[in-house]
This record gives sequence, C-alpha cells and structure tokens, in this order.
Amino acid sequence: MIGRSLALAAALSCGLATGAPAGAAPASDAVLRAPHLRPDPTTPEAGIWGLSDKAEAHVKGSGDLDADPALNAYVRGVICKVATEYCDELRVYVLDRPIFNASTAPNGYVEVYSGLLLRAATEDELAFVLGHEVSHFARNHTLARWQAAKNTANVTMILQLGVAAIAAGAVYSSSAAGAGGSSANSISQAARSVSDLIYLAGVASLFGYSRDEESEADRLGFARVAAAGYQGSQSAGMWQDLIDETQASDFPTVRKSEARASMFNTHPLTAERIAALKALAGGSGAATDPAARGAYRARIRAHLGPWLKDDLRRRDYGQTLQVIARLESQGEDLGVLEFYRGEALRQRRHDGDAALSLGAYKSAVIHPDAPAASWRELGDAARKTGDAAAARQAFQDYLTHAPDAQDRWLVEASLKSLSTAGTP
Amino acid sequence: MTRFLRNAAVIAMGAALLLPLAACVSVTSAPAGAFKVGTGAYHVTLGQEWSDISQIMLARPKNVRLLSLDGPSLNRLYLTDGLAPGDFLVKPAAKDKPTPTYQKGMSATELVEFVADSVSALDYQKVETSGLRPTRLAGAEGLRFDLKGKTREGLEISGAAALAERGGKLYVILYLAPQEHYFQATLPEVESVMGSASAG
Repeated sequence: MIGRSLALAAALSCGLATGAPAGAAPASDAVLRAPHLRPDPTTPEAGIWGLSDKAEAHVKGSGDLDADPALNAYVRGVICKVATEYCDELRVYVLDRPIFNASTAPNGYVEVYSGLLLRAATEDELAFVLGHEVSHFARNHTLARWQAAKNTANVTMILQLGVAAIAAGAVYSSSAAGAGGSSANSISQAARSVSDLIYLAGVASLFGYSRDEESEADRLGFARVAAAGYQGSQSAGMWQDLIDETQASDFPTVRKSEARASMFNTHPLTAERIAALKALAGGSGAATDPAARGAYRARIRAHLGPWLKDDLRRRDYGQTLQVIARLESQGEDLGVLEFYRGEALRQRRHDGDAALSLGAYKSAVIHPDAPAASWRELGDAARKTGDAAAARQAFQDYLTHAPDAQDRWLVEASLKSLSTAGTP
Repeated sequence: MTRFLRNAAVIAMGAALLLPLAACVSVTSAPAGAFKVGTGAYHVTLGQEWSDISQIMLARPKNVRLLSLDGPSLNRLYLTDGLAPGDFLVKPAAKDKPTPTYQKGMSATELVEFVADSVSALDYQKVETSGLRPTRLAGAEGLRFDLKGKTREGLEISGAAALAERGGKLYVILYLAPQEHYFQATLPEVESVMGSASAG
C-alpha cells in the first residue's frame, strides 16, 4: 500500500521552468527555476502547488515525523549546501520510515526518510542524493506528467466513484444490522481514506521519472555536490550498494526488481547511470574517507538502534542483514549492530539462524555500546540450546545492566527456574 | 497502455469485485453476555453491547474476531481463537510484505514482540510496549502489557494486551483506541473482558 504522504511526495518532486537561470546554480546549460517561484493560481501549474501544500500540511502532523531538532537541522544544513539558491525556501522534514527515499515538492517542502540516512555512509553521499532531488526540483521533470495527469483525471474519478459505492454499501449493511451510526461513520471515513489512496496512488504513478531525467538529475546533482565541496566520487558506490541490498532480499519478487520500496520505484536505476556517475568521478570512484564516515556516523549514532528496529519490522531480513554488514564495515557501533544482527537472525528462523543469532549476541556484549537487551536475548538464546550456566550468567548480567527493566520480574523468574531445574 | 492505465484497470477491477462484496458483509451486534470467539468453547463475557466488525476488516485472519464500540477507527478489540504455530494476528497484504507469525517455543519477549510488531503491521507508527506484568488468561499463566503508537496521521493510540499459551496455541486479547478519551473510557470494560476469558 502506498502511503499518502509518500504518494504525494513521490509525485511532487518537480519544479517549474521559468526560463530564468538560478544565480547560484552549478555550471550547466540546463534552465533552472527561479527561487521563490509560485505560479499564478489561475495557471494549470498551480494545481500541483496546491497538492504540495496539502501534502506538507499532512506531513507536519505525521506519526512518523522525527522529532530530533538537531537531526532535522543537520539535514537542512546539508541540503542548503547543495542548493544555496533555494535554501531559504526549502523546508525539511525527516521521517522515520525504513525506506531509502527523499523528495522535494515544488512548493519547497522536502521529505527525507530515515532509511536514506541509515544507508548513507558519509555526508557526501547524503549530499549527492539531496542534490539529485534538488535537481529534479530545479528542473521541470514532472510538469509534463502533471499535464498528463489532468488528462487522465476521469479515470481517477471513476475509481473514486467505485469506492464511494462500496462505502455506501458498507454503511447500509452496518445500519441494517442495527450497529449504530457511529460505526457507519467510521466505515465511511475508512472508505474515504481508501478513496484518497487510490487517487494519490494514481497521481504518484504518473510521476515516474524517465531515464533521461534521472541521468540529468544525477549529472546536475553531481555538479551541485562538487560545487559545495563534497566528494561526488562516492555516489556511484552508493547506488551499487542499493542494488546489492535489493539482491539480498528474502523475496524473489524484490530480487527481480531493480530496487523496491524506494525512490527508485519512480527513479529507474541502471548500470548505465552508475557507469555515467563513475565517468563523472573520473574513474571507478574513490574509496570513502574513514574520517568522513566517522563524522557522519556521529551525526546519526543516536538513531541507529531505532532505525534498525524499524527496518526489522519490514521483515526482509536479507536486506536488513546487508545493511548491518555495510554499517559494520566501518568498525564502529559494533555492540548495537551485532545486537540487531542477532535480532534479525532470531526473527528469521532459518535453519542455523539460532546458532548464528547466539553468536551475534555473544559478539554484541563484548562491546561497551551493546544495548542491555543483548544480555537478555543472549540468555534466552543460551537457554534454548540447553546451556543453563550461560543463560544464568547472561540473565544476571542483564539485570546488572538494566536494574529497572520492566521485565525484571520475568527474568528473575527465569533465573529461579534455571536454578531449580539446572536445565532449560 | 501506460503504466497508469494498467494500474487504473487493476484498481477498477478490484473495485468492481469489492462492490458486490460490500453488500454481503455486515456489522452485527455482539450483545452483553457470553461471546464465543470461535467454534470451540473459548469465550469471553461482554459487559455491554459491542459491534462485531470482523466481517468488514479485510486484514483479519479467520481465527481472529474484532469487536468495536464506536467504530474501527475509535476502538478495536482483537480476540484470537487460539493461534497455532504459523498463524498471524494480522493477515499480510502480499507475500513480500509478511506480518509476524506465532511460533512454537517463543520466549516471553518474543510473544510481546509478536503483538507489538503485529500492531506495527497495521500501519501504526513508533509502536512501543510498557508495563509488562503477569496475568492469567483463560485459566493459563500469561502476560499483560500496554502499548503506545501513532496513526500515520499522528493520532496517539494506546493499547492493552493480554496473552497466554494453552494447548500449544496462543490466545491474545488486544485492545487499541485513541489515547484521547476513547482508550480510558473503555478500558474498564476491556479489563473486565480480559478477566472473563474462559476456555471451557
């Protein structure tokens, strides 16, 4: 199911060409939108601005809005570096969604998903993605499709009428059963939400970028990061990492797709684009600077655990394990990362995963940043293997690390059980 | 045919199929008194009349019943008729969008996680649990805990859950409602329903 704000955001990453070159734009022969552009309400373009405003109003109250002001300010700072001419009109919203995505709507509202922030290795990589999105914004990449959307509006209207009929049927059924009007109202609301989703999904489907538009956004985004002093040479590697993650999916349908549940549903990612980015970088792309990786990790460190927990809830453990492996390659945060490796393996339950999970928890607890839950999970994992002594030790360690844990009584009961039985 | 038109055709066909179904399913009354959750002896006692909204909730597995007092957006009471290993509380929408399944040998932490992740699968955001405590459900030792989350639109949701394993099956009673007014207003009735669960 496509989320409402996702649909809109995916739909609205466009700008409106005015013929006026932007003052601080990177060197390019492309015509860019003027800062602070707002079309006359009587023009056809005003409609997409209205949709942007509606989407922004929705995202301001979104349940997955990240409330960390420092993180939001940081991301806003990065986008301002690559879009200096638009900085004072861009409004950034970081959303805790485990999907690699970012979008810039024509009214200047920007969504950046935590899935992107988790997967970027350096600020340079984040800057490239944001520069890419700003380039869609600065160019007129979806206006033609907006016009096409207006031409196909009748199709959407027919779908909405169909949903309205379903809602009417449900309301009738509810009333006939004597269930009360309040239930009927809720069902009507639910049907209206479905109607919105169909409309928004229809709109979103119209805004898939063409390969040429993507290539142009890559090229312009690359120029933007270079002008801002970033290392654009790492951009091709980031795209390749995403392809690798797709191939690591547990699901054949995902592996067969180029990339799933990401900006690349509307942004085709091809080997040609990666090759072009490597060419722009003057070769095969540079290795990431350890200092740059460390500096970026420091920015997102506090969010690593919650974001990995969100990622686990997608239940595509192959992809999550691939992300963790990439994060671990930096040699930092190993307590947190090994704990979540253990969590992914424990939940996946493939043959051999129990032992691998146990090993991951053992590895986690030797690092000072291991979450307290690592010891509890280590205890449960050890108990399942019949190693009562190890389970007892791990549970005791858990209570030492989390003396006020809400499940203290449960762990104490487990300890008592292990002491009494001597076996699991 | 463009991608949009293909998508539109699929949605239109789905809508056409759903239209007659909407006329077939209904919300029924669940009067105060004994309410049989499934075909067996397992039942709860309702202190007041609820609406049985099971038939209109598309993400519901067949062995899960849903009741509501004010409509599915304002309060939902999930009652499972004993989940067997491999069963889910929330039906997955697609093969590559799986939802949590109950498994044999789950630890207490995993059982709580099963419920919390199932609530997340209902598209609630930032779902967290708290207040884990022992309880008895349907004559078996179980767990009681609270939940918090948000709807995609940012509405704060509270939850109460009780679960217990009995005869190799998992019995769950899960209540979700907006934190503002609805949750507290109905919690005493829900607590009473949880306490009334009986397997025989």
